[in-house]
Amino acid sequence: MAGFSELIKNFDKTRDYVRDFFIYGCKVRSDFDRKSIRTYGDEKRRVESWMGDYMRYDDSLRGRSVSISVDSGHIPENPLYNAYYSKSFTDNDIRLHFLLTDILQDGQSRTLKELVDSLNAEYEQLFDEQTVRNKLREYVDEGIIIAEKQGKTLYYSLSRDTADDFVREYKGLDDALRFFSETQHFGIIGNSLLKMLGLTNDIFFIKHNYIIHTLEDILIPDILTAINEKRSISFTSFSDKMKREGDDLGTENKAVPMRILVSVQTGRRYLAAYIPNYRRFSAFRLDNMKALKMEGCYENYDALKDKFERNIRHCFGVSFGMRREAGAVTPMKITFYADEKKEAFIIDRLEREKRCCTLEHTGEHLYTLTADVFDPNEIMHWAKTFIGRIVSIEGGADTVRARFYDDIRRMNSMYGGDEDESVQ
Amino acid sequence: MNLFSEIYGTYFRVAAKLLENEVTDEKTVRETVLRDGFRDSVLFLPQKLIPSGEDWGLFRRTADGNLRRITKKAPVKVLTRLQKMWLKAKLSDPRIRLFMDSETLASLEQRLADVPPLYGREQFCFIDRFLDSDDYSDEKYIQNFRTALDAVKRRRIVFIEFVSGHGKRMSGRFVLLKMEYSPKNDKFRAYCYQLQNEKVRSSGIINIGRITKIEDTGRAYRAPVSMDEYFSSRKCSTPAMIRVSTERNGVERFMLEFASYEKHTVRNLETGQYNVELWYDQQDETELLIRLLSFGPVIEIFGPEHLREQAKQRIKRQAELLEKYK
Repeated sequence: MAGFSELIKNFDKTRDYVRDFFIYGCKVRSDFDRKSIRTYGDEKRRVESWMGDYMRYDDSLRGRSVSISVDSGHIPENPLYNAYYSKSFTDNDIRLHFLLTDILQDGQSRTLKELVDSLNAEYEQLFDEQTVRNKLREYVDEGIIIAEKQGKTLYYSLSRDTADDFVREYKGLDDALRFFSETQHFGIIGNSLLKMLGLTNDIFFIKHNYIIHTLEDILIPDILTAINEKRSISFTSFSDKMKREGDDLGTENKAVPMRILVSVQTGRRYLAAYIPNYRRFSAFRLDNMKALKMEGCYENYDALKDKFERNIRHCFGVSFGMRREAGAVTPMKITFYADEKKEAFIIDRLEREKRCCTLEHTGEHLYTLTADVFDPNEIMHWAKTFIGRIVSIEGGADTVRARFYDDIRRMNSMYGGDEDESVQ
Repeated sequence: MNLFSEIYGTYFRVAAKLLENEVTDEKTVRETVLRDGFRDSVLFLPQKLIPSGEDWGLFRRTADGNLRRITKKAPVKVLTRLQKMWLKAKLSDPRIRLFMDSETLASLEQRLADVPPLYGREQFCFIDRFLDSDDYSDEKYIQNFRTALDAVKRRRIVFIEFVSGHGKRMSGRFVLLKMEYSPKNDKFRAYCYQLQNEKVRSSGIINIGRITKIEDTGRAYRAPVSMDEYFSSRKCSTPAMIRVSTERNGVERFMLEFASYEKHTVRNLETGQYNVELWYDQQDETELLIRLLSFGPVIEIFGPEHLREQAKQRIKRQAELLEKYK
């Protein structure tokens, strides 16, 4: 494997591999036909290096499959953060990083020329002015170096905000970092702070922890900027079918971003956005998005945002249904059985999980949930967690109700019950 | 400003660690790379740090064979704008009050006055989070949380009174091992051992929101604690065995939803179905069962027998209910 580097330039490619190893867990080399053997080998080796003991290998007739098996509720640090710590760089990048910050540590500000002279005279390192200027510009953007004009000349100084000072001055910040480094949003940034300080999270474990989400964080800062600046964005999306079939081109989209929707139960995060071409809102899975670019300002953003706020109240999950903006909303009523005295926990569950729906006590042991939602289909995945409690379903779409009754009939048969023709 | 930048990278961090000392040696370089680098970094990184002709030039070899840094001082750990923006965003998170008092928060807010937050809380929405989350603004809750956190950090034995999930008032002496947070429930819990005569009687989990009283007993728990042992004691003895079909994009949906579980999957080449073994904590069995049932006939639970039987009973009852109320 000559030429292998632990460091990467392209985050998107790595995202794909980690996701495939992590989510499917039983892919073999030949399942990655769209990639070269070299690419597969290199990516696999990197992931092995990051995931250590969490890698699992199984031999089958098809070959050796590689997977990631993590009980993510029982780990103190998300191992996938390592993907962010693998960015490649040049020799000049690392030299200038340590030398410029060393020179500026005395608190004095200096001109570009003074810095170049210092590098040469004090460290015997020859750099041309342009290289140093570019690095300074980059570090000003990162907030590490401050540039101030005195007359016509730019003076550079080091930011005085250091991680050590912050933790020393603000009591409790270290524990807050430990916690927030493993939770949304952008736990990776908290983790970078912990690492900078030489600290580790030795206190908190996260249940229902979808560690794969961190790989999508790479897209979110640009989305947030677009929201703040009321801009459109363009991006490529890949459906599950496209990914299965190795379609590397995907679909081009132009959309106006509204909000990030996070599901803490299904492992998915979405961008809710308006699609001008279709004149409707839609939700795009973040893990299916790539090549995001900022576009121009959207003229009627505020009016659109108001409309979004009215619409989102009718989403049980993320689906805006197939209706156009002026379309009708289909109300749905699901009635559940729960004995108030013996089964109060069922009523508690309904109350805490009802989301945008309303719950009413409609009879002895009967509780009816009214769902005024765009996509009645979306509610059924949740409703089926109450299998054994559902008395009736009214409204919504005929197909949704029919599918539920059919599902119960099939499940009854699957688990050895009588196939009851009356269930319909 | 970029999340994916070498300034946060492992190689920069290892170099910074080694540059903390004026003089170091090859052995320390290799040990540091082994400890703080990626698994294979020892094959690539030492030659970039140790003068070798292809190194970065951060160290020079001394007459006695050691390595002297070319910088004058230890590297300074300057916060980036991105890190400060993230911190600023966290100041609006109600959970920050669990860790920092109002005065400290106000002071930090002041320090970051010119920094915009990385995100606004309204820019994200947790669509399926439960509605009965812990009340992070409640002073009593904050006080209990901090006592519990301190007990975890200093392994203090605490006396706790709390209301169990079944509504029973309970009390006892506990050693709190770690804290757990669930984004789904938006609740904190503490992993614990209940003690009797200073010996472990049982393992458990206490919801911080259910604690009515928590007091430091003034004693510390000295015996070694293994989290692996604690977790193993709560794990199922036999994994759930699930067959996942390709219907309704079932494989993708199932694998994503259960991505947080430790599991082993095998694909049936003829049918495209996946057979999944899934390990879970025993106390979460009902939660697992109802989530599995929500996939309908797309998946089938075929083991262990008691889990399959519970599924069967619920489905049978469902069919009967529909018949009764039709």
